[in-house]
Order: sequence, then structure tokens, then C-alpha cells
Amino acid sequence: MRIVIAQCTVDYEGRLNAHLPLATRLVMVKADGCVAVHADGGAYKPLNWMNAPNHLIDDGQRWIVTNPKGETLTITFGEIFFETAMELGDDPGLQKDGVEADLQRLLADHPEEIEEGLELIRREYPTPVGPVDLLCRTTEEGTVAIEIKRRGDIDGVEQLTRYLDFLNRDDRLAPVRGIFVAQVVKPQARVLAEDRGIGWVEVDYDRLCGIDSPHLRLF
Amino acid sequence: MRIRAERDDLADVLARAARAVGNRSPLPILQGLLCEVSGDELRVTGTDTEITIRTTLKVEVLEEGKTVIPAKLAADAVKRLPSGAVAITASDGEVEITGNGPRFRLREMNVEDFPTLSISEGGDGFSVDSKSFIKALSQVGVAASTDEARPTLTGVLFEKTDDGLRLVATDSYRLAVCDLPGVDGPATALIPYRALRELGRSIADDEMQVMITDRDATFTSGRGSLTVRIIEATFPNYRQLIPDSYPARLVVDRASLVDAVSRASLVAEDHIPIRFHLRSGGAELSVSRQEVGEETEQIEGDYTGDEMTIAFNTRYLTDGVQAITTDNVVLDTSDPLKPGLMHGEGEENFRYLLMPVRL
Repeated sequence: MRIVIAQCTVDYEGRLNAHLPLATRLVMVKADGCVAVHADGGAYKPLNWMNAPNHLIDDGQRWIVTNPKGETLTITFGEIFFETAMELGDDPGLQKDGVEADLQRLLADHPEEIEEGLELIRREYPTPVGPVDLLCRTTEEGTVAIEIKRRGDIDGVEQLTRYLDFLNRDDRLAPVRGIFVAQVVKPQARVLAEDRGIGWVEVDYDRLCGIDSPHLRLF
Repeated sequence: MRIRAERDDLADVLARAARAVGNRSPLPILQGLLCEVSGDELRVTGTDTEITIRTTLKVEVLEEGKTVIPAKLAADAVKRLPSGAVAITASDGEVEITGNGPRFRLREMNVEDFPTLSISEGGDGFSVDSKSFIKALSQVGVAASTDEARPTLTGVLFEKTDDGLRLVATDSYRLAVCDLPGVDGPATALIPYRALRELGRSIADDEMQVMITDRDATFTSGRGSLTVRIIEATFPNYRQLIPDSYPARLVVDRASLVDAVSRASLVAEDHIPIRFHLRSGGAELSVSRQEVGEETEQIEGDYTGDEMTIAFNTRYLTDGVQAITTDNVVLDTSDPLKPGLMHGEGEENFRYLLMPVRL
């Protein structure tokens, strides 16, 4: 990552022509070749930018960045106030809200919270149309496929329906019934699930986590 | 099928039966009302398969028969006709509703698709005064859960006591108990509050007959009947939750408390509790929400016991205070982390047990 804070003008030639007059700006060049010119405001969007892959010619006071489409970004520097470069390494990626993953982990440890008598066979059980979150056996004969969502809407029921279709083709598992689990199961999802013979269960994430709620209960 | 009746009477029987018709039923036929005509009577049935409401009306019968009409549309159509006589005729897949000029022609629904609703035999029967019964149901009903994931808590427990019938409901945060002395109730039955709250608007008359079997409960009056499938589950052992005695007691004017809680609710949201600082001479109520501000006020009353601060969920507290009908409200407490018991002064048939919120 190379960072330059400097007075500069920027000229773009490509689908249209654009010019940024002389002002103090932040210019970033990322390891993959992306170039972005930022003003001192706005959340994330640069004033101008050029996505990788591209080619940068640095002749000291002027950078000429070109991409395979023939577009050109020319940055002409005046006074340079700050310049640094640093290797950041690979990024681990955005950690999404962990509730859904945590729910799967917690319920895998305590499938009885979904239904009494359930025993885990496997997490992320593979099917030809993707892995179902939990596959469990019951005390009665049969298998239960469980799809877990943070908010349970009809898309989740559709997804579980597809898994059940394929799982029930496997003689070793059939009959496989489904349970749709979420912190909140929306009314449409409840109706669709019941119509398809799929059970649904709402779970209390805080309680599963053992988080102590200030709202005390009688029992 | 062909009948004639007064608009207001017809609109009434259709609207009351339509209260059992669900908005989200996956079966289109359940959006309809079954209308059956024989002798001199129109019988209207609406159901979502769990709750069934039947209403009847003496009408001028021009031709016997039966039909299924779209519930909401037909009820609204009759209601909006000019006053006076209204005629309903069903033939050739259409239902015609006419009255003093306007004419609706609605598509008839298939009578054969309407579910057959069996009525259970036997069971415990008793009669109740509708007014006191509906009032008791509304008092305990506030504590019933609406969470369908916990069906046991969505019901009202009917329980026979030594001197009458007891109604109990809880959502695990509060518990409401109401005794109806002199009512010879069933051993026990757990009945969905969703159905019970419809009684007042659908079939309640001066007196109601209640018949409870091991499968369903039926409430009947001169205005019709409501049948609901009972909940087959064991209600929590509520008796062990109610302490025998409390070391602290606050007695305050009900109207003042209702007003104070109402003002505090302006600042509080659902998850923000109202604090009661209990001290000699009454209590200080306060509520504080960081991003909004706070409200504080004094309520005069009688307090006996050690000074303490206890907090309650605003909505649950409001429900309890509003369910009490006497001039003064009693709040019995023992500890900021143990349930408080509310009831009317000198009136213990209704009791409302409320769990505090930890501060």
C-alpha cells in the first residue's frame, strides 16, 4: 500500500473526460494496482479511481495510470506533504455478523434445544445443492435436516425444501423430515413450512449463549 | 339458496362469524363463510380450523340450500348496502346480494371444499355470567404469550377450585390469576387466548354455556357458538411461583399510578424499565433513557417495609395496573430480584405477579 498526501491535479480520459483542479488530496496505490484519489470527506468513495489491472508510470511529479481499455488517469503532483509505503499482507476478509454461525455451533452442541431426542450426525452435511446446516437422528426411526437462519423468511424454507428433496432420495437416510430454525420465523415462512410438512422452531440466541438477560423470568 | 333479512341483522351475523376467518390461511376456502339455510334460519360458519364461530339468524327463507361466500367481502358488502331488507341468492356459481338498489354478484366458493367440522361429545359443561367472565378473561389475557413457538403459554388455564373457577395465564415474565367464585368449572383445560378474546365480540350474551371435552371447548349463547381446539400441554406449576407472604407493601391510588406510569412510558421504551424507589409515604418513580432524557415523580401512598429500589418492564407494569379495577392498587414485594404481586385493595380475586428487571 502506497499512500501520498499532496497537492495534485487529476485528469481522466476514457468514457468521458474529467478534471480535478489543484487541491490537497490523498492518493492510494494498492498492492493489486488499484489507484484511488480521495478528498478529505465522504465515507469511502474516491473522487476518481482506476481499478486493477492497470499500469502505472511514475516519473516523479506525474503518475500516468492506464488500463487495458485504454483509459488514462493522470495525476500531476505539486507539493507533497506525506508519502509512505507499507506491505499489509493478505486480508482475512470481512467477518459478517457471527450470530448465524454461532447459532449453528451452539445448536450442534445442543440439538435438544430444537427438539427433544435429537442427536447430531454431522454439521454442514453435503447435498448436491449445497450443505444443510445440521443433520440429526431422532429417537424414532428417521433423520432430521435442520436449516438455521438468523431471521427466518420463506427463502430459508425454500432452501430446506431443496435439501429435503435430495436427502430423501438417499435410502440410507430416508425418511428425512425438516426443521427450520431461526431467532424469528416470519409468519409467511411459518405458513409455507407447515404447508410443506416442515417444522419450525424459534430459538433464543442470548439464552443459548448463556447471556444473562436483565429481564428476569418467573420460570 | 335464497333469503331475505334486515341489513343490520345480516351484517351482524356475517361479521361475527367472519372473526374466525384468518387473514393468512393457505387454503382459499377458509377465507369463506359457510351459509346454510333450512327451516326459518340462516346458520353462518367461519373457521380457520382451530377456531370456529357459528352464528344464526331468523330470516325469511325463500329457498333452502347452502353456499360459501367470501367472508370479508360479503360482510362488508351487506354492511354498506342502504338500510332495509337485503336479499342473498346463490345459484349457478354466483351469489347475488341486493338491497334497495345496489347489487353485488360475487363468485361462489365450492361448498364441498369447506372443512367438515365435527363437534366432540360429552365433556364438562357449566354456565357463566358473560360480563364477569369476559372481564376476567381480559384481566388474565394480558399475561398470555403471543409467541407461537411456546404454545403452552398462549393459553388460559381453566381450573376448578374449591369455590369456583380459576383462570390463569403467563408468558413467563408475569402471571395473572383470576378467581370466579361460584362457577362450577372443569377439572383443567388449557384454551388458546387468541380464541377467548373473540368471545366478547362474537357470541357473548347475558349468559354463556361452556362445554369442554378432551379435544375442544365450545362457548354457546343465544347469539351463536365459538369452538376452539384446546392446547394439549401441561401448564407450568404456577402455584409454587406465588409466595405466601411479602414483607413489604405499597398501597397507592390506582388512577395516580396509571397516570404516572403513562407519563414515564413517554420516555421509556419497551426495554427500559420504570424504577420504583419504595420509601415511607409512597414511592418515587423514575425512568431514564440515555439518548432521550429522564422523568421522575413522587407518588403519595402507604408503604410498609424496608426502603428498596425495584424496577419493572414498563408495558408489563401498565398491563397489570390497567387490569386492576379497584380505587387503590397494592404492590407486595420482598426483594428487587423477586416477583412483585399486584392486586386491588380489598379485592384478591385478581392477582398479577410480575417479575422485576435487574438494574
